[in-house]
Order: sequence, then structure tokens, then C-alpha cells
Amino acid sequence: MNGGGGFGRPGGRSGGGAGAKRDGAGAKDGGGKRYFFRRRKVCKFCADKIDYVDYKDVKLISQFVPERGKILPRRMFGTCAEHQRKLTEAIKRARQIALLPYAAD
Amino acid sequence: MSERIYEILFIADPNLGEPEVDALAAQVQGFVELAGGKLQKLEKWGKKRLAYSVRRHHEGSYVLLAVEGGGGLIKEVERRLKVTDGIIRFLTVRVDEELRKAERRKAQRALGEEKRKGRPSATPHATEGVQQ
Repeated sequence: MNGGGGFGRPGGRSGGGAGAKRDGAGAKDGGGKRYFFRRRKVCKFCADKIDYVDYKDVKLISQFVPERGKILPRRMFGTCAEHQRKLTEAIKRARQIALLPYAAD
Repeated sequence: MSERIYEILFIADPNLGEPEVDALAAQVQGFVELAGGKLQKLEKWGKKRLAYSVRRHHEGSYVLLAVEGGGGLIKEVERRLKVTDGIIRFLTVRVDEELRKAERRKAQRALGEEKRKGRPSATPHATEGVQQ
């Protein structure tokens, strides 16, 4: 047991980092008495292995933009920091070319 | 170093017919080639609803071009796009760096996957938080 847990980490580089977070989730909020379980959100872009967030892909991007057209904080969708940055850029580009609204009325 | 790749996406006036949009696309292609660029891709998306009104239009025909060339090319092409009638909005984005990064990421992941297959015992144990 001690071999498996520690051994896998150094080998896996940037890709392994995302998976490692899962281990911590079980111990999260361990101190307090919590009766509800918040499902851990996983970055959709990481899960689907989308490396390039395309501003032209309205179908994909619009999943992360509410009706009003705001960019929501990443705690809403559980996107990782890297993909949230890329997503933000994509949304802003899509807005410029009228694929997404700046603000819906 | 290889040349940069840009995407030029423009919206044509919705009142233009199909052949006129084609002509416009050909015209833009002409701009690119005149300025020493190479066209890689030309895609017509057809008429789409705009998310907000642009020059009092609520829809427009989208045309996408992928172009290979330097920064000077874009300067010239953008200048011409600005003065071309029938184009209500355009956007140029440099994509080569991002795409290259994505490509590299993909290759790295494929490599990692192969490694994992070769050593199946490497699955990390999830340390359970249950304590007796």
C-alpha cells in the first residue's frame, strides 16, 4: 500500500497533478460535522481532454455562460484555473464577433 | 521559424445573397494573397443570428479564413477589411502558438498513457478517510 500511493506521483507530470486532488477530497472538511455531501466538481475541459478552448465553438462555451451573458467564477463550474483562463479568453473573443452577448437585456 | 497562422472571421451583411458572400470571401482571399499570405482554409458558416445588433443588423453571414503569414500581412488585411463594404464585423486571432501548445499537450498525454499501460500496477491507492 505504501508503495503504490507514493510511487505513482513523481512519474506523472502535469497530467497527474489533476488526479492527485481527488485524494484530498475525502479528507476535506474532516473536522466539522457535515451532513451533506457536496459532489466534487471536475473541470469539464480536463475530463474531456480539451486542450484548446475554441472561441468559435459556441456550443461548448455557452455551457459556461448563463443567459445574461456573464462570465461566472470558476467555483460555479469547477473548471481548473488553467482552463478557466482559457475559457475567459474564448468568451471574450466570441463576444467581439457577436457569437455571445456582452449583456443580454 | 515558420510563419504565423491567423484566423480571420468576418460577418457579412445579411442582405447579401449567397453569390455575393462568395464574392466577398474571394475578395478577402485576394487581400491575403496580395499581401503575401497563404490561405489555408476557407469556411462558410452561413447565416447566423447575432448575439447583439451590429450596425443595426440582427443576423449575418459568417466566413472564416485561416491564413499563414506575418504580422505585416494582418495589418494590411485588417486595413482593407475595415474599408470593405458588406463586412459588418471582423476578428483576427493568432492561433499557431495555442494550437502548438495543445498539440504538445496531446502528445504528452499519449506518452503518459502508454507508460501507464506498460505498468498496470501503478494505479494510485486512494487513501480512504474512514478510520476505525
